[in-house]
Formats: sequence, C-alpha cells, structure tokens
Amino acid sequence: MLGDRTGYRARTLLACGVALACVGVPALPHAQPAGNPFPSTYRPAAATDTLFLNATVLDGAGNRHERASLLIRDGLVAALGTDIEAPAGVQTIDAEGRWITPGIVDPHSHLGSGSMPYTPVELSAWDVNEIGNPAAPHLYVETTIRTQDPGFAAALAGGVTTIQVLPGSVNLFGGYSVILKNVPARTPQAMKFPGAPPGMKMACGENPKYNYSELGKAPYTRMGIVAGYQEVLDDATDYLNKLKRSRRGENGEPPHDPKLAAVAAALEGEVRVHIHCYRADDMAIVLDVASHYGLPITAFHHASEAYKIPDLLVERDVCSVVFANWWGFKMEVFDAIRENAAMLEEYGACVTLHSDSAITGQRLNLEAAKAMAAGQHAGLDIPRRVAIQWITLNPARILGLEDRIGSLEPGKNADVVLWSGDPFSVYTRADLVFIDGALIYDRFGPADQHVSDFILGQPAQEPRP
Amino acid sequence: MKSISAVLLLLLTVLWACAPAPDGAGTGTGQSGSTVTAIINADAHTMAAAGRIGNATILLQGARVAAVGADIDVPDGARIIDARGNTVTPGLIASATHLGLVEVSSSLDTDDRSASSDMLGASFDIRYGLNFNSVLIPVARADGVTHAVIVPSASAQTPFAGTGALISTGAGDDLLVQSDIAMFAGIDGPSSSQSGQSRSSQWTALRLALGQAARPDGGSGDSGSELEAVLRRADLDALHPVAEGSMPLVLRTQRESDIRQAVALARDFGIRVILYQADEAWRAAKLLAEHKIPVILDPMANLPRRFDNIGARLDAAAILHRAGVPLALHAWEFQMSHNAGQELRQAAGIGIANGLPWQAALEALTAGAARIWGIEQHIGSLEAGKGANLVIWSGDPFEMTTRPLTVIVDGQEVPLETRQTLLRDRYMPMITGADRPGQENSR
Repeated sequence: MLGDRTGYRARTLLACGVALACVGVPALPHAQPAGNPFPSTYRPAAATDTLFLNATVLDGAGNRHERASLLIRDGLVAALGTDIEAPAGVQTIDAEGRWITPGIVDPHSHLGSGSMPYTPVELSAWDVNEIGNPAAPHLYVETTIRTQDPGFAAALAGGVTTIQVLPGSVNLFGGYSVILKNVPARTPQAMKFPGAPPGMKMACGENPKYNYSELGKAPYTRMGIVAGYQEVLDDATDYLNKLKRSRRGENGEPPHDPKLAAVAAALEGEVRVHIHCYRADDMAIVLDVASHYGLPITAFHHASEAYKIPDLLVERDVCSVVFANWWGFKMEVFDAIRENAAMLEEYGACVTLHSDSAITGQRLNLEAAKAMAAGQHAGLDIPRRVAIQWITLNPARILGLEDRIGSLEPGKNADVVLWSGDPFSVYTRADLVFIDGALIYDRFGPADQHVSDFILGQPAQEPRP
Repeated sequence: MKSISAVLLLLLTVLWACAPAPDGAGTGTGQSGSTVTAIINADAHTMAAAGRIGNATILLQGARVAAVGADIDVPDGARIIDARGNTVTPGLIASATHLGLVEVSSSLDTDDRSASSDMLGASFDIRYGLNFNSVLIPVARADGVTHAVIVPSASAQTPFAGTGALISTGAGDDLLVQSDIAMFAGIDGPSSSQSGQSRSSQWTALRLALGQAARPDGGSGDSGSELEAVLRRADLDALHPVAEGSMPLVLRTQRESDIRQAVALARDFGIRVILYQADEAWRAAKLLAEHKIPVILDPMANLPRRFDNIGARLDAAAILHRAGVPLALHAWEFQMSHNAGQELRQAAGIGIANGLPWQAALEALTAGAARIWGIEQHIGSLEAGKGANLVIWSGDPFEMTTRPLTVIVDGQEVPLETRQTLLRDRYMPMITGADRPGQENSR
C-alpha cells in the first residue's frame, strides 16, 4: 500500500515537468514541484488500523456526529458512521465520553526555524528572517528546520499533525514556506508533506518598515513597501513573459533568476502567497497591487482588521489567518478584536486560526474556543462543528491540501486526534494522535516518547522524588 | 424559593419609592451607590472558612462585603443582582502584569514598564506611571480581574527592577491600591545587555546591597565605599524595607540553581522572598515548602525557551501545590497585560488539566495570591468585612467558553464594555446584514 502511494507520487512528478502546477492529476493533484531542491523523504509509520466506537466526532467537514464510529485503515479514513463492523485485524477503541477531530493544521508556525532554546547567539535573527535584502523570494525555509526543536513534540501533544513553517515577516518577499507532517524525524526532508504545493511568504506594514529603517535602508514607509512589491513584480512579470514566449518557442529561455522565477511561479498561481498584514488599509492596498499584476493571494496572515473588510476579502477570495485574542503588541494590531474569526465566518469569508508561537501552537483547540465563544457572546451562531474548521479544514484549504487532510471523510489521510473530552474545554487533552493512520502520540505511552535530543539527559527535566 | 423572594424584593424595592434611591434596583445594572447590594442565587466559592455555599446570598454594603451565607435576609431596599445559580468567585488577582504601564508594547512612548535606560535601579517605583485611562484596564476587568500586581521590568542597575504596586481595575481615576507591594529583581543567564554579567555578579550585587541596606544607618556612613559606585543612595534606601523584612523581595528567576540560591538568600538575610517565573521551582518544591517561599508561576510554561528553564513542565504547579508551596499564578508574559484575565484563566485551567486541583487553582488566583502579597485582610475572599470584589461567571471560570456576567470592584458594578467591544459593535451591522455591503449571495 505504501509502496503504491510512493510509486504514484513518483509517476506524478514525472508527469509534471519543471515548475509546472500539477492541477488535474487525479487523486494527487498537487505534486512536489520538481524545482524544489529538497524533496520529501517522508514515509508514513506503520499504520494501526483502528475502529473508534461511541465517540463524539467533529468531522471537520462541518458536521457533528454523536455516538459515532470511525474506521481508519491503511493510513486512510475508511468510514465514519454509526453501524461500522470491525474488520478482522482492526483494533477497536471504545471512545465513550471522548471526542474525535481531524488532526489540527497550523498554517503559520516558526517551529524548527526559530528552534529552542533561543540562545543569545541565535537571538539576533534566529533563522527566521534573512534581513539583508527585502526581496528574498527564493529562500527555502526548510533549510532552517531543526527537527529536534522541542516545540514539535509539544504541538503534537496538542493534536497538531500538519504545520506550515513560514519565513519571518521582515522581508517583503521572505521565501518559500514548507509544510511539515508533525512526526519525529532526523531531517527536515523526512517531515515534508509529500506533494504539498509550495507557498511563499510576503509581508507588509510595521515589520519591514521597522527592521529596514533600523538598518538605514528602504523601506522606511508603507510607500516604500508598496514600491518594493512593484519593483519585484514588474521584473517578475517581464521574466514570466519571456518564459511564456520561450515555452511557445518564440525565443530562448531567459537566464535563470531564482528570485524572479519564484515570483513568476506565484504570478502563475503555482506558489501560494501568504502575506503578513494586520491593517485593513494595508490589505486593501495589497489587493490592488495583486490585481494589477494578476498575483493570486491565498491568505492574509494575522489580518487583525479583516473584520473591517470582509466584503473585499470575499470578493477577492482571500482567506484570513487570524489570532484569537492577541492585540496591542504593536500599533498595527491595536484594533484586533476577539470576534474577528467569528465575524468573518458569519459573513461567509474564509478564516483560519494560527499559532505563530510555540506556546499557542500547543493549544489551537483553545484558541478556537476563545474565538468561538467571543462570537457566541456577540450573538453569532457559531457551533463547535463550525469552529473546529478554523483549525482543520480551512487551514488545509489554504495549504492546498483540502483533498488530503482537514476532515474525516473517507479516502482522506487518517490524521486523527482522540481527545479526552470536548476539545473546546481547557481540561481536555489529546489522548491519541494518528498521522496517516499511524499512532504517533499516546498520552499514556512512555514518558520519554519524542523527547528531543536537546532535552535528553538534561537533569533539570528529570522527576525528583 | 429564592426567585420568589427576589420578585417580592423587587416589588418592595419598587414600592419603596421614597427611600434613598437604589438606582437600577432589580435590573442588575446601574450604580450601586452606598446602599446594600444583594447577590442572590449564587453558587459562591467564598475562598474563606465557609467554603463553597450553594444558593448563597452575598450582601455588599458600600465597598465591603456585609454578609455571605445560605440564609441571609435581604434588607428592604437592597439592590438585587440575581446570579441565577451561576458560579460566583472573589475577583481574580493577577499576580504579575504591566497594566497601566503599557499601551502598545512596541511603542516606546506608551511603555513605562522599566527604568531600562536611566539611573534608577531599586528606587524605580512604578506607582507614578500608572495610567488609569489605559484601554487595557477595561479588558482585564471584563475578564474578571479586579486586582493586579504591577511588575516593573528590569532596570539598567542589574539585578534590580524596582518596586511594584497593587492596583484595582475599578472605574475610578486612580488605579493604585497599595504602592511598595514588593521589591522586584531578576537573576538570569547573562543573555542581554541589561543583565550582561555572570549570575554570580548579579547575586553578589544583590547580597552586597542587602548587606548595606540592612545596616542600622542604611549604609549612609559609608558613602565612599565601592558599593556606592554601583548602587546609588536612593537605591539603597529603597532596599531598606526589604532588608528589615517589611517588604518582600520578588526574584524573577528560573533555573534551579538560582532558585536554591534564592532560598539561601532568604535564610542568610532573614528576608521574605517570593519567586516569580520560577519555571524550575518544582525541582526544589520540598525546600521551598520548608522555607515557606511562595512561587508565582505560569502553569503553561513548559518549553525550554532558554537554558535557564530547561526543566519547565506542565505539572509544575501541581507538584508545587502537592509539596505545600504557596502558589499564585501569572499569564505568559507576551499577553499578561493585554489579555490579563483571559490568559490567566487559561493558565489556571492548563494547570488543572495537568494535576492542580480546581480549588487550588482558584485559590492561587484569589485568597492564596492575597496571602502571598500580604493583602488578605482586604481582598481575595468573600466574607464579611472584606472588600466587595466579585465576579458572576457564565460557567466554570477557567473555561475559555465562559465569561463574566457581572464584575463588582470595590462594591461598584463595573461596565464590561471595552474599546474592543466598541469596535465589534461598530462593524457588526456590516457583518450581520443591517449595513452589509456587497452581494447577498457571497456566502
């Protein structure tokens, strides 16, 4: 089974050619772009075929099932319903009183890239922002990933199964993101989600302004930021036109330019643009820049004023990736409100939550609880079956993985969290976490499971009598 | 039964039109004035000897609790607030925030947290910088925080930060309840320019200073000493109450070796020490309990963010509690002020999820915290004579789906409106349809 899937991916890669989107290839539409020099070596661990019985299931597809059964087989969701018989060789788990959700998807993390401990020598930049040039779209954040970051295991214990790690928000074009499966691994490549479409980080607002003006270089202002986008997008548009002409045989290929090639791929929609913006006005300006160049924007990250422009966001089909309650840590996040996610949901705009922090990334379920409760208290009808989508199917969608993960529909990857109770309760903990049908985390398993190499042998961690 | 008596009381109150007007009586809104307020049908966690009282009545007179019990007669004319069986607790005490000292963390003109770039060290006193118009205050009280300990950040005079204060989140024109609530200092790895010296230097400076400040003349006869070069007269004076034991020294320190040094410091100088952000304190739980040294802890701290806190773990609060260490809680530093209540409640809940008894968590946010800060005569519990500070919750106070329904600070019901709810209300009509722009079929 595993061999089949691997082989299929290999064939798909061959079918895709260089730097072309693989849309339309059945069952695995988004292949690893052949241009990525760090291909995934992820292999699912051995699947534990399991039938869960009597669970409350929030399926991520918008439904809540009571006393439901969920069957996972061969690494995939096989069935979700009420009268499912356990096939031979399948373990059963009575989940009476417990809840099941899809694995949580964190679409904005810096785990592994800003790896703990944050020692002083790393503090100057971590490995998150390559500050030198505002235009750095060609960087690969997977080149920074330390798989031994203790934050990965902590997130796993919070039910997080898929993580998009993004470069930081200093550069206007910050580089490629990487999407990781939250499994113990020795190399970044072994965590990379096979076939995940590439993403790119961009940023607007205070962070580029502040950091570059400190260095005595542009951009100093929002004007400079927008001009910085335009310069790169002008060049990338020229580059793309030359590429297109060469594809038509009208001229030879332009000399390879990794920066312009990256942005050209974004212009063609092959690379998903994730742009860090807080303010409504910043987002509206970015949307016009994007329209001018035909640059598809997948999501505004942080987007704390998205609630002020839901109409624009719906019209341009852009998702908002927001915090539940963070505010006030800088001026552009002064107008953040707790109802942001719920108001976007109510309006019909796409919204997801995110962590941006190793602390928050352990409990995105509680971020969903905060955001849901804020909406409910404001009179909006946001049930749990909807709010769970903010941390499952919706982030899967902006990562281009909605046909693989994010909900418990038959045929999807068996990324499953068995919770000790209602995942919107502060007292609830993830009991079991499955990734591709393999049991990766067991709360009642060995205490040292997934203890990172850094933690190993540290006396301060050891229990004292 | 209670609801019937409530109706009768409401009628009586309405009939008593000539009495000194209990504004808003029976509606649960409006000012309480100086008359009696009765919280009825409360599931009261008194955090006092009476424990939990189901179906309790809590009488408030002015700024004080007059009576709490199951069989309390509500006086005629009392303003009635029906808790409808909901959980009622004392107002929460946030044991570490920067409320009133910061508006926008990255905007230096709104940041009065530290004397990081001037001459003051231990003599830095945050009381003068408190801004009662801060928009963070209403957010804290709307999340159930009625009192908070305001912590100064590190000064340039390592290891001292200065003196903190206790504030209330009431709607008055002064936040300050008690200045000089404690002296703050921090010992950590030399990771920044502010503490850019070995922790041995930091401990030495602290010990020298305390030794000097402990002298009967406060060290004033020693003006030529080498100590004067690093520690100014005013800073020594500020340390005097610590040295003589009348003011606690709060040590922000995480590593186990430093925590044990703190115990030694308390023993050697006979001073009161409170540990803050002490992620590895659980490793010395027995020792801390023996020496009755309290810990202010973030139960969510479980990551080895620095070499100083490799031992951070989620059950630290539970371990400290089991050992008998007096415990109060703080929220993670990034949001300890802007979401002072919500993140504090979450932190307590995470502590409970990892073994801290529910009652102990509430204790650490109320009566236990009050005892640590030496203010238990005034706040932290619901009993006659104490300050009238309480919260009626829509559910379990530690659940993120719960919110305060009513918050009373010093006997006054405070508005739960914040700048954020005003923003919400301004934009909500656009969301729900009244002023909705664009196409109706966009969903």
